[in-house]
Amino acid sequence: MLLKTSLRSFLAHKGRMILSLIAVVLSVAFVSGTLVFANTATSTFDKLFASTASDLSVSKAVEESDQNGPPRGVKPATVPVDTVSRLAGLPGVRTALGQVFSQSTVLVDPVANKVVGPTQGAPTIVGNWTDSPRSALDLTSGHLPQGPDDLVLDADTAAKAHLGLGSKVRVVATSGNYDFTLSGIATFRTTNPGAALAFLDTATAQKTLLGEVAYTSVDLFGDGSRTDDQLKQEALAALGSGFQGKTAADQKADGAKGVGSFLDFMKYVMLGFAGISLLVGGFLIINTFSMLVAQRTREIGLLRALGGSRKQVNRSVLIEALILGLLGSTLGLAAGLGLAVLLIQLMKLLGMNLDASSLEITWTVPVASYAVGILITVLAAWVPARRASRISPMAALRDHGTPAEASANRIRTVIGLVLTALGVAGLGAAAAAHKAADGGLPLGAGIVLTLIGFVVLGPLLSTGVVRVLGAALPALFGPSGKLAQRNAMRNPRRTGATAAALMIGLAVVTGASVVTNSMVSSVNAQIDDSVGADYVITANSPLTPAMADAARTTPGVRTLIEQKQLQVTFGTPDGKHPKSPLLVVTPNFTEGFRIPAVSGRTEDALGGGISVDQKFATEHGVKVGDRLTVDYGQGRTQSLPVGVVTESGSVLNGLPFTSFGTVAKVLPADEIPGDDQIFGIADPGADKDRTLTALQKSLETYPQVQVQDRAGLKDLIQSQVNQLLYMVYGLLGLAIAVAVLGVVNTLALSVVERTREIGLLRAIGLSRRQLRRMIRLESVVIAVFGALLGCGLGLAWGVTARKVLADQGLDVLTVPTATIVFILVASAVIGLLAALVPAFRAGRMNVLAAIATD
Amino acid sequence: MTTAANAVHSAQQSGGRAASAASARQVTKAYGAGETRVTALDAVDVDIERGRFTAIMGPSGSGKSTLMHCLAGLDTVTEGRIWIGDTEITGLKDKQLTQLRRDKIGFIFQAFNLLPTLNALENITLPMDIAGRKADAAWLQQVIDTVGLSERLKHRPTQLSGGQQQRVAVARALAARPEIIFGDEPTGNLDSRSGAEVLTFLRRSVDELGQTIVMVTHDPVAAGYADRVLFLADGALVDDMTAPTADSVLERMRRFDGKRTS
Repeated sequence: MLLKTSLRSFLAHKGRMILSLIAVVLSVAFVSGTLVFANTATSTFDKLFASTASDLSVSKAVEESDQNGPPRGVKPATVPVDTVSRLAGLPGVRTALGQVFSQSTVLVDPVANKVVGPTQGAPTIVGNWTDSPRSALDLTSGHLPQGPDDLVLDADTAAKAHLGLGSKVRVVATSGNYDFTLSGIATFRTTNPGAALAFLDTATAQKTLLGEVAYTSVDLFGDGSRTDDQLKQEALAALGSGFQGKTAADQKADGAKGVGSFLDFMKYVMLGFAGISLLVGGFLIINTFSMLVAQRTREIGLLRALGGSRKQVNRSVLIEALILGLLGSTLGLAAGLGLAVLLIQLMKLLGMNLDASSLEITWTVPVASYAVGILITVLAAWVPARRASRISPMAALRDHGTPAEASANRIRTVIGLVLTALGVAGLGAAAAAHKAADGGLPLGAGIVLTLIGFVVLGPLLSTGVVRVLGAALPALFGPSGKLAQRNAMRNPRRTGATAAALMIGLAVVTGASVVTNSMVSSVNAQIDDSVGADYVITANSPLTPAMADAARTTPGVRTLIEQKQLQVTFGTPDGKHPKSPLLVVTPNFTEGFRIPAVSGRTEDALGGGISVDQKFATEHGVKVGDRLTVDYGQGRTQSLPVGVVTESGSVLNGLPFTSFGTVAKVLPADEIPGDDQIFGIADPGADKDRTLTALQKSLETYPQVQVQDRAGLKDLIQSQVNQLLYMVYGLLGLAIAVAVLGVVNTLALSVVERTREIGLLRAIGLSRRQLRRMIRLESVVIAVFGALLGCGLGLAWGVTARKVLADQGLDVLTVPTATIVFILVASAVIGLLAALVPAFRAGRMNVLAAIATD
Repeated sequence: MTTAANAVHSAQQSGGRAASAASARQVTKAYGAGETRVTALDAVDVDIERGRFTAIMGPSGSGKSTLMHCLAGLDTVTEGRIWIGDTEITGLKDKQLTQLRRDKIGFIFQAFNLLPTLNALENITLPMDIAGRKADAAWLQQVIDTVGLSERLKHRPTQLSGGQQQRVAVARALAARPEIIFGDEPTGNLDSRSGAEVLTFLRRSVDELGQTIVMVTHDPVAAGYADRVLFLADGALVDDMTAPTADSVLERMRRFDGKRTS
């Protein structure tokens, strides 16, 4: 019986439920889409790794920290050639194959002068072709590499770079440039994870990539008589020390870790946004049910008068919510599959090929979808349902259908104030913290608490803020303005919830833009302040000595500063062993950079010593003259005197530095990575613009290299930050879209609720145009109110976050006024758009029918 | 049809409508078509005299409300013509009708007369606000004094009693000095004392302010306040009584009921 009334009521109000339904569908779609996508990606890669891993891969033993491969530009560790024959003779081994692979190279199309293969994210791998029984690729055209000129490329990369058989391909390695002819094209058997793969014959690969006759690893394939683990034990025992073995399972785990961290990141980001849109959708549902309950006050009163219990009334509302949640989750689940396909297509654009035809839908997907969808709707309907159950049977007898609107009550106000105060205290504590690490927790707590506090205080704020906001409306828009202002204020709870939905997304956008803008201006200030170099040469791959030579001989260039980065472990006087990147620079470092010192001299650090950051020095009790041990791995260590303690917040970003010569004393040349960045300083008399052009010309043959002057560097930083920001904007667009649906929803329901009022207004002479304007203005007021709260909250967050990150280099605060003005103006436009349909429908209302409506 | 009704009919035919605040000629209002056609008004001729208080009476379903809605331009007619003053309103577009209602007509409904978001004074001046006109301060004060609301101008409708709310509605209708005020059972929701108060104000506004008022009612006591009562039955005008009293109206209604049931 109860179910029947709920179902009837749901169907009767299906029009009013539509926007809530859309909100649920969108949020659930995000959840299920993300899960399906992540599952599909994981299983695709699992399959790939499972089908290509050898039973055992033997390579030179490296330390745990170096498991992810050598630093950029360092020749890979090798095993002697005879390792293959030694392993091949072991019992249980069917085949042993010597492999040569390097990720330190770049492929270039010398004709078009363009980089071939991915420029970011996935690696470019060049190696030797072996007849592996589990090769990931099959040769599909041309022939295998057979001589010093032949190169085989994977089909996806070739197609993307428009290369065919006979095309020229250049391999840019640390040791120099090597030109090849495309002799064959190979196609992935399962899927291409997005990497570019190039194959040479073994001898050429060794010469080009290693400069010696050796292998980077040996792949073993057993005959089935032994498990992989047994094989590993026996192989390592036979070879003696200095080797390590990885079974198929190990390789799979390694591969999954590499891809997994990226996928996990995407998954959590997307689930985060799903969470925000769920939250925003929740407000929409609360409003919908509140209004439905308010409109049905008499009906519910009658039900109570006829003997319905509170529990039954309460339950009937919740069942309606349950139906909504069930329906929304089902549709959302389906929409999520579409979203997953869309994401897979998107990944293809980024170079990661997944198979959209084999979506992996595990049991977790429907469970999570329904749990999330139903939970949020039922939770959101909880308060309205309780309110419904409190309706007295007397309501049936009362004349007015809609009860007087409750104003913000005192308990709510107190709770809101307490939460906001706690949040502000958290933000204050974060701002007062000296280190980013200490400020993080209070910052997070402050953000969450102020957000909840504002949501709770929303109704109270709406009364005050809307009064001020709307004060100008009567003067500007006459009676429509006055009515709009009053309407926006008449139900603070509803206005508050509608605006809160918009507030959330905009607060995040504002906060993010404060932080990123500060980031850009801080870096710019740092460039102006500390960088004396005129040009920066960078690439996504290591810079080779040949590039440095080309730059050095360019007319107008006085000198170059080269900079590398090494991962080292320090031994400090306090007995700790902190790990840190170490900058290795040419001794002319100070010609291009101003390095403010707390104590000591930079020259001492560059002439056989090392520098430490002020914070590092305090933490580990290091002072000038102390000795630090520097462990470069592979048993190569050095003890260096501290020459200088540098000020925190400089261009160094808190990193220590030392000079090339110092490092060269313990590291052999082939273990020193390529340059990370090269900085150029122009001759005093040279034309700087012309020299920039000349530099770009000298490095023209390396399309992966970018040469910039200081202005260009600033632009580059700006564009990198913008990329991040646009991603945030794009994803928050969803939350804002749901919030806009909320405004539409509130207005549409308000129009229905105020039918008689609208009829009265029309009867006494309000024109359609004035009526529509009234509704539009109300919408604008609500939207701008939400935007104001959002911008205010976002500013507070952003300013505090900037303060917390001050010691991470964000020492300049920039408030993006233009962005904030844009948000406010855009919110007014959003308000206008949201009101389009409700205003149109109100205008079309028949006056008589409106008056007659009970 | 009674002879009395015929007499009324012919009198109206000959009477000039120029002197009327509102007139209807052969107004027919029908819903549906063919066999399901329901005629709510059947070729009604009416003239509402200026400066007088006219009541329209009749049993439920007689078409009295429909007649008022048509006269006020809230509803469209199927056939016939209607004038408010010199303006023929049949055939006007929504925009012109809205303007006409705004400038020339005042309304008092049975319930839900006031906007809950506006206070009493704002509700009273709302029609002028909408029109973008300034209220005549002296006149406004007089109206407010007449209905006795000076103390409650800042109150919201929810803070007023039912009678007070209707008095605000009357004040709103009067304040804009419309050519004609239409009341749709304006005392229908009030207890007899509040009802009498409101009707007294309406009466005084006719006598002292020269207002024209048309009121639909089913209450003989209310009709007794009018100068003239028009009786409707089954969509046709059946009687016309001048200088009515509550008793004479009741008497007429009884006769009328008796005739219908016999």
